[in-house]
Amino acid sequence: MINAVLVFNNNGQPRLTKFYTQIDTQTKQSLIAQIYNLVSQRPASACNFLPLPPLLSRGASSGAENGPSDAPTQITYRNYATLSFIMISTSTESPLALIDLIQVFVEALDRMFENVCELDLIFGYETMHAVLSEMIVGGVVVETNIDKIVSAVRDQEGNLGKKRAIQAASSGIGRTGLPGLGAWR
Amino acid sequence: MSAPVTLISLPNANPGQTRFEKSLYDLIKGLRHHKGTEEEYIQDSLRECKTEIRSQDMDKKATALLKLIYLEMFGYDMSWASFHVLEVMSSAKYLQKRAGYLGAVQSFRPDTEVLMLATNLLKKDLVSHSIPNMSLPLITLPNIATTSLSMSLLPDVLSRISHSHSVVRKKAIICLYRLALAYPDALKLAWPKLKERLMDDQEDTSVTTAVLNVVCELGWRRPHDFLPLAPRFFELLVDGGNNWMAIKIIKLFATLTPLEPRLIRKLHRPLVNIIQTTTAMSLLYECINGLIQGGILDFDAGIEEKDEIASLCVGKLRGMVVSDSDPNLKYVALLAFNKIVLTYPGLVSLQQDVIMHCLDDADISIRLQALELAARMVTSDSLQSIVGRLISQLMDSRPLKKGSHLEPGDGYPEWENDKQRSEWTNKAPLILPPEYRVQVIHRILDICSFDNYSNLTDFEWYVDVLIRLVTLLPADSEDTFMTNATHNEQETLSQSNITDRIGSEIRNIAVRVRDVRMEATRAAESLILIDNRQTLFSGVPMSNNSALGPLAWVVGEYAQYLSSPRQTLYSLIDVSNVSLPAKTLSLYVQAIPKIFTQIVCSGGRDWSSSKRSEVALNLARIIDFLEALGAHPDLNVQERAIEFLEIMRLAADAAHSTSLDAHDIPFLLSSVIPGLFDGLELNPVSVNAQKKVQSPDELQLHQTFNEDLWVLFSHEQGNSHEKESKLPFHEYYYSRETFVPDKQGMDSTSDDLQLMPFATTGLDHLDDQAALVRRKHYRKERTRDDPFYIGTEDAWTAISEPSRPQLQISDEGELNIDAIPIIDLKLSETRERHSDHMSSPPPEETQSTAGSRLRRYHVIPDEMIGHEEELGVKDTNSLNKSNRSPLLVDSSGLQRLTLGEEGVSSGYTRSVPRAEDDAEMAKAMQQVERFRLELQRESERVHPTGVPSEGTLVKKKKRVKKTTAPVSRDSGQKHEPVLDGNSQRKPKKKRPKNQRVVTSS
Repeated sequence: MINAVLVFNNNGQPRLTKFYTQIDTQTKQSLIAQIYNLVSQRPASACNFLPLPPLLSRGASSGAENGPSDAPTQITYRNYATLSFIMISTSTESPLALIDLIQVFVEALDRMFENVCELDLIFGYETMHAVLSEMIVGGVVVETNIDKIVSAVRDQEGNLGKKRAIQAASSGIGRTGLPGLGAWR
Repeated sequence: MSAPVTLISLPNANPGQTRFEKSLYDLIKGLRHHKGTEEEYIQDSLRECKTEIRSQDMDKKATALLKLIYLEMFGYDMSWASFHVLEVMSSAKYLQKRAGYLGAVQSFRPDTEVLMLATNLLKKDLVSHSIPNMSLPLITLPNIATTSLSMSLLPDVLSRISHSHSVVRKKAIICLYRLALAYPDALKLAWPKLKERLMDDQEDTSVTTAVLNVVCELGWRRPHDFLPLAPRFFELLVDGGNNWMAIKIIKLFATLTPLEPRLIRKLHRPLVNIIQTTTAMSLLYECINGLIQGGILDFDAGIEEKDEIASLCVGKLRGMVVSDSDPNLKYVALLAFNKIVLTYPGLVSLQQDVIMHCLDDADISIRLQALELAARMVTSDSLQSIVGRLISQLMDSRPLKKGSHLEPGDGYPEWENDKQRSEWTNKAPLILPPEYRVQVIHRILDICSFDNYSNLTDFEWYVDVLIRLVTLLPADSEDTFMTNATHNEQETLSQSNITDRIGSEIRNIAVRVRDVRMEATRAAESLILIDNRQTLFSGVPMSNNSALGPLAWVVGEYAQYLSSPRQTLYSLIDVSNVSLPAKTLSLYVQAIPKIFTQIVCSGGRDWSSSKRSEVALNLARIIDFLEALGAHPDLNVQERAIEFLEIMRLAADAAHSTSLDAHDIPFLLSSVIPGLFDGLELNPVSVNAQKKVQSPDELQLHQTFNEDLWVLFSHEQGNSHEKESKLPFHEYYYSRETFVPDKQGMDSTSDDLQLMPFATTGLDHLDDQAALVRRKHYRKERTRDDPFYIGTEDAWTAISEPSRPQLQISDEGELNIDAIPIIDLKLSETRERHSDHMSSPPPEETQSTAGSRLRRYHVIPDEMIGHEEELGVKDTNSLNKSNRSPLLVDSSGLQRLTLGEEGVSSGYTRSVPRAEDDAEMAKAMQQVERFRLELQRESERVHPTGVPSEGTLVKKKKRVKKTTAPVSRDSGQKHEPVLDGNSQRKPKKKRPKNQRVVTSS
């Protein structure tokens, strides 16, 4: 199963944190920091899989020997422009399929926001959560069809996410300002 | 940056908002405008949120909640707001409700108290008329489910599984899975419904995939339960047409096939077909993985096929590793090899060349996988080259200032002169993260110590490696990874673990391998020496150097091998050591007198004035050091220090008092103190051995010795002088001739206190002669199997031969030794082994062959009583429980659950008549066969001619012959089952058929 989905930008500022286990805020932050640390060190040519950060490696040292287990052993990430999308999962998920799943997520967001950028996700984070919960429920993948995902979110909120993003843009924060967005919170 | 500053609150989606409250946008923008004073701004905003969320206005409340959720993402706790979350959840407006549910997902914890209040709200929303509304509890419940919540909401969620809309059904299915994790019995009720969804051909693919995903999660916990569904899975695999689903099914089959080998027979064709045709790498990879893990190589029917498939799979994986186009493929191929190597190491070791290449990959993830793989496929032949390669990798990546400590060619020709080394150094130096370096060192130790060093052929080389590893320990990692204070502990833990491990390895080698004990001791010595310590342990902070403890033990225990015992002693009693950790220090304290004794005794029995003054000086220094520790906060250190302090003071007295006349070393120094440390050699003992020592039946730990103890005491206090001689234990303590049990005697007597001293002492007292004989005998017995006993000129020493079998002892005694209770620990085996070591040539002789590569080392294994049991496994289990990953979702509750209602599992867990089992399987196979045929036809249809292609119908032709069935499709289908049933019972007949199919395709 998928244990967590994280999105953060190049500065390590979280844009989405979804944990399918109930853990305290402090641990969440430490984990994000550790994973950001790993992701930020990786060159663009590296593969999309991360070694386990210290927080996760204690329970899972013998993952491969014992076959599947509940312990999260795979971290898949993918970079899009200024953002990194991360999925933490157990070995029951296929590593290559997870890369595709991230792609589905981003494409669905792109449809929702029409040419998505980081700023859209900042102001439309509710929409981002809605898209994610149409894809993954309780850590199990529930839908991979982009059309179905997008239409389900539209059923919920219409084009609210897009509207909000445009609203934010019209207030003087240009969506074109992407390169300088790093410092945004 | 360039964005204009706007101070006016914007109109936004919440129309009820006044301009005095911040909207979410204002918050986000405000954060931007308060750069530098963000913390202050956030605290301000949090305060505002606190008041806003208490307001009666639902709009205001919801906005405040959204802001809190946003801030929670950055680590600002919002658990205090859980009641308000609940309030927003109950809002009538969908978007506010959604915000409330989002708040619940993000902030509720198992101990959130308001959860109990949520039950009714969730129930109500679950039967809402609007689908988005209904979905909210379904997607939220998985995150917040507790046992009680699951119990009360189970019926409501169950009813949603047959909802008319597939969006609801798919979410309800997954929701049920998570409810079952919190409340395992839920699965019993849910399973029939899930199965129904799975079997329904008309079901929406999304729903089927959702069930499959759930089954895949459950599958590895209870594979037996899902075996009967194999035909359906097969069907879905073959004509599902959805790669996501296919991947999951293949993963599921990989867990099922080991239980039912016949499945692989049906599976391999479609899988091979996919491998050859698919363009999706993920599917291709999972097919290969599934085939190999599913046990295609164990599948004995159709050997040619097997080889073909195996080489196809491994070839594809190898291609993935070799190709530089996609690092992901490289990574997953190594991942697959890592799984395969456990079952088919031979297959993987053929790929050694490419895997070794990955050890130098620029990508740490790939390196780590290759490292793990290398550690698993190492053999005694490849060990040294692999370890050498890893070490040079560590050395190359070291910062220059560290490298300056080691001059080239300082005695490690092994890798210094390696041809390949220059090649490696030419590569651009890669900055390796400290975690990776630690990982590499761990792996090197794993590789070498595997299976009690069975792969290691050259222990002198290993000792060198260990010293080198110490110098390669990652430099202080504060600057790289100590970003967060909470990880400090963990980081230093893993850091000290690796130093500790190296220290322990040196100790292990010293204890286990006699032939290199000297080298190991000298290695420990070189690391202990205070002058070297700073340079060698450059990466490890002094206060945290846990390698020193085991090293100190080695230099103490094997002090006779030290090259400069004096220097070592001075290093141990250096004042700076007082700050070492308590655990290390207590081992230091123990080692000090051992080395001191060695120094005293090394010069023979000569007691010249120079020696005397040297001893006195050493003693003074030792006493100084021990005095400093006399008030150590750790009790263990304190106690040991004080004990040895007293002994050392006695020794100092002895050294002074005999100074005038004697030419011999004072008795205290020459015999008494060494006597503390002499004895049987210490052998490695298994960690679990202690647990296996059975307490004797006679041992009664809860029985009082004497019911009238208090009476005795009061008696004694009152008239001790009169009664003194009549007390039963008086003789024991005060008579000269009483037998005092020695150390070994004590061991046996303590096991059975009722029998021993009191009964016999009276007799001994009567007959001095008998007592004398008996004492002698005890001594003789005690020293017989003690090879280190230095006998006196007494005649009886001649009796003790090292090779004498243990059990004969009891026949020789003049007195009835059998009366002495000795517990049979069944140690005779290990004793025998022990005596083997003793009869083997002493270390000095083997030293002469040092340097020759052909040396045979004997590694002493752990001593164990009886058989090693699964205790270790248990331990790791409990360890995992206490030390598990914070993200882990525990599904172990499902392990003991049987989905018995449908008889799903009963056929496998209980002993059900074999025939029934077979029938079921035959039926399943029948279906599988049918689907396989359908697939074949499907592929035939591709041919525009519509004429059945002869190649694929070889099987069919045979069938025609056998069953004399008409060639029409329908009847062919009808008759297959008969044939298939046959083939189940007579696999031999099936074999040629299979072969022909392959050749035809």
